[in-house]
Amino acid sequence: MIRVVNFFCFAVTALACLALYHVSEQTRVARATLTAVDRQIVGERDATNVLQAEWARVADSARIETLAQTRLGLNQAPAVQLSSFALLPRRGDATASEESPLRPASVVVPATTGVAAPVRLAVARSGN
Amino acid sequence: MAGEPTTMVQRRIVIAAILCGMAFAVLGARLVDVTLLKAGTAGTASAAIRATLNRADMLDRNGELLARDLPVQDLYLEPYALPDKQTAARELASATGANEDRLQHVFASHDRPGDHVLVARQISPDAEDRLLQFGLPGLEFDPSTKRFYPKGRAAVQVVGQVDPDGHGLSGLELGLDQTLRRGEPAQLSLDLRIQFALAQEVEAARQQFEARGAGGIVLNVQTGEILAMASLPDEPSPGSDDINPNRNRMVRDVYELGSVFKIFAFALAVEDHTTRLDETIPIGRGFRLGRHLIGDAEKMPATLAARDVFAQSSNAGTAQIALRSGPLRQREFLSRLGLLDPVRSEDPEGAKPLYPHHWGQIETATVGFGHGISVSPLAFATAAAIIVNGGRRITPTFMKHPQDTRGAQVISPETSATMRQLLRYVVTDGTGKLADLPGYEIGGKTGSAEKAVGGRYVAHKLLTSFCAVFPIDNPRYLVFVLLDEPHGAKASGVMALAGHTAAPLAGRVIARIAPMLELPAKAPIVAQMGGNP
Repeated sequence: MIRVVNFFCFAVTALACLALYHVSEQTRVARATLTAVDRQIVGERDATNVLQAEWARVADSARIETLAQTRLGLNQAPAVQLSSFALLPRRGDATASEESPLRPASVVVPATTGVAAPVRLAVARSGN
Repeated sequence: MAGEPTTMVQRRIVIAAILCGMAFAVLGARLVDVTLLKAGTAGTASAAIRATLNRADMLDRNGELLARDLPVQDLYLEPYALPDKQTAARELASATGANEDRLQHVFASHDRPGDHVLVARQISPDAEDRLLQFGLPGLEFDPSTKRFYPKGRAAVQVVGQVDPDGHGLSGLELGLDQTLRRGEPAQLSLDLRIQFALAQEVEAARQQFEARGAGGIVLNVQTGEILAMASLPDEPSPGSDDINPNRNRMVRDVYELGSVFKIFAFALAVEDHTTRLDETIPIGRGFRLGRHLIGDAEKMPATLAARDVFAQSSNAGTAQIALRSGPLRQREFLSRLGLLDPVRSEDPEGAKPLYPHHWGQIETATVGFGHGISVSPLAFATAAAIIVNGGRRITPTFMKHPQDTRGAQVISPETSATMRQLLRYVVTDGTGKLADLPGYEIGGKTGSAEKAVGGRYVAHKLLTSFCAVFPIDNPRYLVFVLLDEPHGAKASGVMALAGHTAAPLAGRVIARIAPMLELPAKAPIVAQMGGNP
């Protein structure tokens, strides 16, 4: 009986060793795969970093402005606030009358007005 | 069976059983170790691989990239392996930009097996590709990083520089060195949109007035955040050969700023009730103090109301008002505003101010109108912000910190409100008219200081500046601009004084940046313009 038990134990031990070897081998392969994936991630992340930096360079305001001027013939638009929300007519209200402070933007800010235009107007208003 | 001696077979069986038991115990222990104890550390190795970049990013307040480490390679080579050293040196020099003569020299002096030489540092992936196409033997690439600034020269002096080993050398790269090297990204208070607008307008004014240098600061007066800072020229420029383009003059240099300093003389007078704003101050041909005569750059009437002394920027009147406070009180007041100490910020290169050791009557008078004391533009802007923000102390910062950080009261809120009215009066009725902008009620003060050359003030070498605050009823932003030796144009009637050079510059800057700052115009601009037919 003892021999049978012993044999069984040896058999189980041998099987356990084989299973352990198998798992160990699987682990080694998985680790190698993981390392490769990690390297790929690092590479991809580096590439993403480079692309982000390249995008930041390409989208630089000075560069965009130069391109817009040389390739598209655009100029700086005057950054002027035409009105405030409080003065905008409600839906259904009558069109602004002549006395209204609101004017069509096209007649107030000519398309060719430079950025300094509001300043010049302000100077004229203050009588300098 | 009990008491019988164990046989040899039985002993072997027991030993075998013990060995089996030990084997199972080892397997069990290993199983517990792998499945339970080391379960959470599986990613450690991969994390270590990922940690290849050694310096964190610098971003503007909107997340725009300002500085980043990018992967590059350092190139080493074993000269012994080269069949033709002369050709190799030429090819390597063309691909990497290295000096060909240096390469030939080191190849000749390190020609033994096992000798390695450094060919070039931080070569780009493109250069690496070109090198590989040459098929040279003995090349070794060592992974490294290079600091890249995608916005080029934008805010270059503020951001600073690093050495080839990635250590901060100047600016915020130096001030935030520890943080960045720990891998923590730094989100700065700078807004690249504001920075671009400020730098562009300041450079345009510098060229228009043929100034040696120019600069500007946009500061949030409630949080102390610096939204933009320009110091120009920021690259080698004709006529400005003696100016270091990498030097942030807004932080590192000190200037006698002249009449913008009258803000502090009047704030002190209002705070201490030594002067009423409607009080008549004698001006005439100047104010005599001992053997000195304090005069004005432009002809002034015989008398001026105190508020007009400020609006017309009279030195003679301001000197009299400053003297009412006295030397001790004036010095203590300027000290409380932080003007007598180097300004503290994340930039470690704050300049030390220059002020008189002996602070007597003459010094009190001259300091009142901004002569005899030199401070950095950032220190001045911070102190001016305290005057208008309700009178509470702020600390300038280059880090994004949108919360209100106003601290201890330096002057009373009432004094601050009065000063805001005075600053507005300068723009509507004084020397700062050209800074006015419809819809945004701007307050400000001009400053035209003669520069000292060889110990004497030179009339035609001016340092003009304008300190603008908007919206004036509840200020949020301060714009300070400075022009170094601007030239007026007689033909067009434009003088070199601040009212004609720095004031319109500040107005143009505000016109550009106010919409970006989402500041609503107080009154409809259309109505103020009167509406065109």
